[in-house]
Amino acid sequence: MSKELIRLRDLTMEFDGERILDGINLYFNDHEFLTLLGPSGCGKTTTLRIIGGFLTPTSGTVTFDGKVINDVPPYQRQINTVFQRYALFPHLDVYDNIAFGLKVAKLPKDEIDRRVHEMLEIVSLKGYENRRIDNLSGGQQQRVAIARALVNQPKVLLLDEPLAALDLRLRKDMQNELKRIQQATGITFIYVTHDQEEALSMSDTVVVMDKGRIQQIGRPEDIYNEPKNAFVADFIGESNILDGTMLSDYKVRFFGRNFDCVDKGFAPNEPVDVVIRPEDIDIVPPLEGHLVGTVTSVTFKGLNYDIIVDFRGFKWLIQTTDFHGVGTTIGIRLNPEDIHIMHKSEYSGMFGDYSSYSAEYDELTEDAGDEEE
Amino acid sequence: MKKANRILTVLMFIFLYIPMIVLVVASFNTGKDITNFEGFTLNRYVELFQDKHLLNLLRNSIIVSVLSTAIATTFGTVAAVGINGLSPKLRKTVMTLTNIPMTNPDIVTGVSLSLLFVFVGSRLLGQRDSLTFWTLLIAHITFNLPYVILNVMPKLKQMDSSLTDAAMDLGCTPLQAFFKVTLHEIMPGIVSGAIMAFTMSLDDFVISYFVSGLDFVTLPVEIYSYTKKPIQPKVYAMFTLLFGLIFVLMLTMNLLQIRSDRAKGARRAKVDSKTMRTVKRAVAGIAAACLLLGVGYLFVAPHAQEQITLNVYNWGQYIADGSDGSMEVIAEFERRYPNIKVNYSTYDSNEIMYSKLANGGITVDVIIPSDYMIARLIEEDMLLELDYDNIPNYQYIDESFRNTAYDPENKYSVPYTWGTVGILYNTKYVDEADVTGWELLWNVEYAGKILMFGNSRDAFGIAQYLLGYDVNTTDKAELQACAEKLAQQKPILQQYVMDEIFATMQNEEAWIAPYYAGDCLTMMEANENLAFYLPENQGFNLFIDAMCIPSCAKEKEAAETFINFLCDPEIAGANMDWISYSTPLSAAKEYMDPETVSDPISYPSDEILANGSSYAFLPEDISRYVESLFMEVRNG
Repeated sequence: MSKELIRLRDLTMEFDGERILDGINLYFNDHEFLTLLGPSGCGKTTTLRIIGGFLTPTSGTVTFDGKVINDVPPYQRQINTVFQRYALFPHLDVYDNIAFGLKVAKLPKDEIDRRVHEMLEIVSLKGYENRRIDNLSGGQQQRVAIARALVNQPKVLLLDEPLAALDLRLRKDMQNELKRIQQATGITFIYVTHDQEEALSMSDTVVVMDKGRIQQIGRPEDIYNEPKNAFVADFIGESNILDGTMLSDYKVRFFGRNFDCVDKGFAPNEPVDVVIRPEDIDIVPPLEGHLVGTVTSVTFKGLNYDIIVDFRGFKWLIQTTDFHGVGTTIGIRLNPEDIHIMHKSEYSGMFGDYSSYSAEYDELTEDAGDEEE
Repeated sequence: MKKANRILTVLMFIFLYIPMIVLVVASFNTGKDITNFEGFTLNRYVELFQDKHLLNLLRNSIIVSVLSTAIATTFGTVAAVGINGLSPKLRKTVMTLTNIPMTNPDIVTGVSLSLLFVFVGSRLLGQRDSLTFWTLLIAHITFNLPYVILNVMPKLKQMDSSLTDAAMDLGCTPLQAFFKVTLHEIMPGIVSGAIMAFTMSLDDFVISYFVSGLDFVTLPVEIYSYTKKPIQPKVYAMFTLLFGLIFVLMLTMNLLQIRSDRAKGARRAKVDSKTMRTVKRAVAGIAAACLLLGVGYLFVAPHAQEQITLNVYNWGQYIADGSDGSMEVIAEFERRYPNIKVNYSTYDSNEIMYSKLANGGITVDVIIPSDYMIARLIEEDMLLELDYDNIPNYQYIDESFRNTAYDPENKYSVPYTWGTVGILYNTKYVDEADVTGWELLWNVEYAGKILMFGNSRDAFGIAQYLLGYDVNTTDKAELQACAEKLAQQKPILQQYVMDEIFATMQNEEAWIAPYYAGDCLTMMEANENLAFYLPENQGFNLFIDAMCIPSCAKEKEAAETFINFLCDPEIAGANMDWISYSTPLSAAKEYMDPETVSDPISYPSDEILANGSSYAFLPEDISRYVESLFMEVRNG
């Protein structure tokens, strides 16, 4: 098991009386790929900047290797950062950008040369040494930014939405590339993103944040399958979230019916949030269904159709590979393992209702995320 | 549409560059007249490089500009970085505050700085010469600072703030981050700020005028006082060189920019950055060299002066300077008295000279004011009594210039020049029969071709001679009558003039104008159709400019030596030949051009002179009253 490297204790941060971080407790292990995931304004970038030394927390401590480093300036931390818009130095060429940190550290010239070339190989930019920064594509700039940070052999690399400015295809390639680099170098990556897919596919550990607080920490599969509250359930993938009552262990009641489930440990008759993932729902002929509803909208998504089904006034999102036209009456079946039960939280009732669903829904949330900081 | 745009652009360029072209052409003209290109010559440039005084002024201007630009650019950049780091609200306030001095009229800035310097220098530090090179430098830095800040701020705002974060992330201290990253990013702003500061500094007149002492004067300040004679063509040559220098500088910078942009496009990155680096180094080297020279001069200059420095404050172009084959009077003085170094500076009116003295903060050893101003200075106790034992040449001063109205006991002044005010007219257009007296200036037949004095004293004087009043009257009713007389004249005037008279009369744009006899002779040399008439029967102004020592003088004995030197008949003769005013030393005439000496315009007979009268100092309220009446006439 790898050892603990950084710990944040009761971290709070206030700007002009506004609380940006509200009691963050978190530790980072050596060699880990950890992602801070959340919508814009959730505090993830602030957390990253505190770790990088660009901000001093209002209260709480940051420890690195067991030492408190609250007052250590960024240039004395063994941490390097890949900035959101790369922040490459426009007056220097690729080589000098990468060599910047080493030159500041006054390393011997031949060592600088060796390490820069090594780095250029790792990020596949051999032969680009003398290029000017503004003659590089977004992806190439990204690689230079990573190389510039990694060449200093930091203990920790902070990455602030490094792929946000790239187009979708390049973003997928760079995700693999980053994962590969992280595994090859063994450096701890702390990665900030608002893109849940990116977070799930790259990370060892995902930390879901909202409103300056940590909502859930866990492996990607756990976060997806066992969301702790309505916020996480909604933010990580799509979810239908319903009011229900936990009758007893393995028995839940919602929509006026009793269902079997696999959850236990709730108080008898405790009101709960019931999460049903849209891709877990089986469509059956109306007569065979646990519930019967009418299709009100259909959107073709390539791999599947997103359909909105009206169940007695409550609309669900269902993903299916078979076409069901608007107005069709369908039935659904829910298996016990498709039903996930959560305690009620401050987020109950805020998410998981697709009554106002529209096709632009996804795009809207993504745009909002891009604008962070 | 496109065509119209092009035409408009061409017109705009013509509009912008025509004055420069005229100047450049004038600098190569054999003749002195701007309107008439007589032939190509480089003599103006030769004259320019022989004129030590002018070159000295140019050097002064460049020293102040370079030093103030360097300092203001450094401070301004640092200040901009600081301001940029403030909270947005505070930043806005601070920016407004730094911009105010820029929008402030120069004259306000100039006067307030001058007050400050004199107050601090005289009151707090107990110095007599509180206006020096240093105050000039401080003033230039002051007005340059906002330009630098204004140019650097946008670059700082444009800069991705994560660049400095990145630098610190990679191990730079905040200071290292500034030099390694921020500085490169904001360099274009710094350079344009510096260029702006340099040009503002180079051509500043108003502020420099108020804050400079007499020992360190810049070019614009001096040129402004060149009113005794039309501006000499060698000055055109200098302006042409200045304009050319700046033109080439700007062009080079733009070309370099274009080339580097192109190189970027062509991905010739390495080569380009190398040439750019060389150019940058060269520019930095030149700047550093100028800076060193400037600083060096400052420290070397005071040591070189084991001698006495004599500050002479005179009208512009009022001493022979070696041009047109004349004697270089000051150089001759310094040759004869090697222990005295003359520091010569100029003014363009008695009133300006007075205000400069009254403001304090300067040392002046010799001044040459006019008669009525001398009376005022005596009354206000601003002159020192002369020791005539040190001025043996006073014996040559003609009897008629002793015991004058302004200095009845010959205690404070030694006459330098004198002259009359008469009418200059063009014989080609003006009928001799009409030339009968001052009423010629009211003759409607010549409407639109008549010029009039632009200053109240001379204008009222003419009305007073015409109406038969005393020129020094304090009777408001009489003055009111004069004003009415002048108002009658206004509709037929072409304009009110002072210096513009030279060009207008020589070009025959105007035919009739009252002016000083000495200047009329200069104009008559240029245009043979011009003639001079002195209304001897009605009366005319007889003015005397005399040398005095103001009470702020430090080198009284040297000043007396200088005055004595100028009264040496041989020197006075050579000097007067160039100035073309009349000399009060009959003994000087034998060293002068015989034609001038026998000219009744320069030297009217004693009987005629008896009809002339001098202006005396008017009480404050009367001179103000006259001034306001004259304003009404001109504007009404």
